[in-house]
Amino acid sequence: MVTASSISFGANTTFTSSPIPKTKPLFIPHSLKFTTGNGRAAVTFQRAVSVIPKATSADSRATKEPTATFHGLCYVVGDNIDTDQIIPAEYLTLVPSNPDEYEKLGSYALIGLPATYTTRFIDENETKTKYKIIIAGGNFGCGSSREHAPVALGAAGCSAVVAESYARIFFRNSVATGEIYPLDSEARLCEECSTGDVVTIEIAESRLINHTTGKEYKLKPIGDLGPVIDAGGIFAYARKTGMIASRN
Amino acid sequence: MASSVISPAPTSSFINNKKDLGSFCFSSTSQFSVNKCKKLAVSKKIVSVMAPQQSERRPATTGSVKNAMTLTEKIFSRASEKPQLSPGDNVWVNVDILMTHDVCGPGSFGIFKKEFGENAKVWDREKIVIIPDHYIFTSDERANRNVDILRDFCMEQNIKYFYDIKDLGNFKANPDYKGVCHIALAQEGHCRPGEVLLGTDSHTCTAGAFGQFATGIGNTDAGFVLGTGKVLLKVPPTLRFVLDGEMPDYLLAKDLILQIIGEISVAGATYKSMEFVGTTVERLSMEERMTLCNMVVEAGGKNGVVPADGTTFKYLEDKTSLPYEPVYSDEKASFLSEYRFDISKLEPLVAKPHSPDNRALARECKDVKIDRVYIGSCTGGKTEDFLAAAKVFLASGKKVKVPTFLVPATQKVWMDVYTLPVPGSGGKTCSQIFEEAGCDTPASPSCGACLGGPKDTYARMNEPMVCVSTTNRNFPGRMGHKEGQIYLASPYTAAASALTGYVTDPREFLE
Repeated sequence: MVTASSISFGANTTFTSSPIPKTKPLFIPHSLKFTTGNGRAAVTFQRAVSVIPKATSADSRATKEPTATFHGLCYVVGDNIDTDQIIPAEYLTLVPSNPDEYEKLGSYALIGLPATYTTRFIDENETKTKYKIIIAGGNFGCGSSREHAPVALGAAGCSAVVAESYARIFFRNSVATGEIYPLDSEARLCEECSTGDVVTIEIAESRLINHTTGKEYKLKPIGDLGPVIDAGGIFAYARKTGMIASRN
Repeated sequence: MASSVISPAPTSSFINNKKDLGSFCFSSTSQFSVNKCKKLAVSKKIVSVMAPQQSERRPATTGSVKNAMTLTEKIFSRASEKPQLSPGDNVWVNVDILMTHDVCGPGSFGIFKKEFGENAKVWDREKIVIIPDHYIFTSDERANRNVDILRDFCMEQNIKYFYDIKDLGNFKANPDYKGVCHIALAQEGHCRPGEVLLGTDSHTCTAGAFGQFATGIGNTDAGFVLGTGKVLLKVPPTLRFVLDGEMPDYLLAKDLILQIIGEISVAGATYKSMEFVGTTVERLSMEERMTLCNMVVEAGGKNGVVPADGTTFKYLEDKTSLPYEPVYSDEKASFLSEYRFDISKLEPLVAKPHSPDNRALARECKDVKIDRVYIGSCTGGKTEDFLAAAKVFLASGKKVKVPTFLVPATQKVWMDVYTLPVPGSGGKTCSQIFEEAGCDTPASPSCGACLGGPKDTYARMNEPMVCVSTTNRNFPGRMGHKEGQIYLASPYTAAASALTGYVTDPREFLE
């Protein structure tokens, strides 16, 4: 089944968790450099012709496991929460790359949810949320390609979303920006958890614990996404692993 | 002698129960998949029907022998310079065109500068098309500032294609301004078969009507493309939609795509390509094909494609001088699923609040009283959409019963509305017919109220009300107010509804 968790930054790409040594391209025959217009070598790519082998050679570093755990209150939403509900279009005049406007975006996260959601994601007169984790049904983030959606959630203070499934552009944007961890649950957690439950997510164990109900749930392993989000998104990750030249 | 219903041939058509309205069956190329009609599935949520990949005995590839590929796979193959690839492969793809607009442009440029440097230059000043269209005719300061940000960047980078607007009070005073990005891209010849077009907008998939790979991306991906001209994408498997039969004269492409989305749900095509073929599709105009591909994203689709043909080439004749090379699905290509529709059996549809897959027959909603009608957007604000609406008003000869808002997508569409004669009207233009019917004066071209926008946006829904709209989404709050109720419909259905003040099947006026 093709699910949203099978993202582009998967096992077959050169974005692995083991940094690729710059001086010794061990297994990838072609090196591709392209420059920006001013002649500066901006990006170095190596074409993945074959699957990156697991670290077996003695000098390769052990794969760094994402060790993140998230602990806090969860906010539960249903299916098909679209980007207009996550961040209504009228707030899209805010430019996410502008620090003040980034914060403002966060203050409007999930303000588009209908009145049937009696508990607000962000309390009135607050700009940050007290819910670190969002638990959702299927097709979370459907609708627009607006990156403002995962950005608003991250800016509001949300660390992770655990959904039954995701819409692809939202999922991709979440990883690219590094704003939130988009995790896939195996079961329909939106029916098992309630807003305000205290939960812990253990990324390495692929597990969610609901302390309020005492139940535990399996999550799909985060795989190659973890290091990308840990680093702060694709650009930061690409720099960290030597894929892109460091900025001056 | 009883004939076998499960045919082993990969491309045979399965049971197509012509008695059932809009019925279809999905078939697969696998020999052992079960042939079942969708009608058996009760659950609204589609559990992806992934036919097991047919295990063929592949001949040894010596380089020139290639496996069969779908249209989308072939585009990926060419763009990634990999002669061989399969769905699921992650590949670096060369981008032919990158589009952005006033909402996402500033953010994308911010990321580009942050990551590549304040003095970095874009990868190719001729492959970037900057189209302000979302929040234009508003007094919102930030919205206006965002257009200025686009201009500053374009001047600094010497971007060739920037459809600027400075005089917000009179759109016609801006010779470069176009309007809605997806329509402008097509009208300005930026869509070409076989190419890769990315845009910071989910409805970028509209361009798939030209037989190219077109999809929406976020600011960060766009920032990356600005610097490198490349993007990392996963090759999607393809769902094939075969639409056959003569299109009744009360149906439009909007009805077709609403039918499909209602069938497979808002997540039915997630991460997949949707390929539209069949005799009905072949007879669709370019604008109708654009409507079809436009709402692919509403089914979760990664991209939509219509194979290029004579209609495509004719449309492009006077629009682009750049060479292009169309590609087509191989006969033996593998499709994840195939859906077949007998179009002659379909009836006008709506998508009821609050989801594009909440499909219903228009005639079954005839008791729904409405407060307004909106005709506009990339989905339903093109020249042919307005000609269609005018046709209904002309047939009726009466006045609309509710406020009817008309927002042409681009300057060119606006001009057409004011100059093209409507067939059968004795030389009247759309604008004249609209005026006689009591519609609002056609507004300045932009995305308008399709997505709400700043509070002073023309036709924005600022109170809870019921609207029939030719736009693409009807999630809560889409057009402004959270309790607004939006019925998505074709221009025929929208016009018919305006005339009665209720959701109305256009056959009330067209037959």
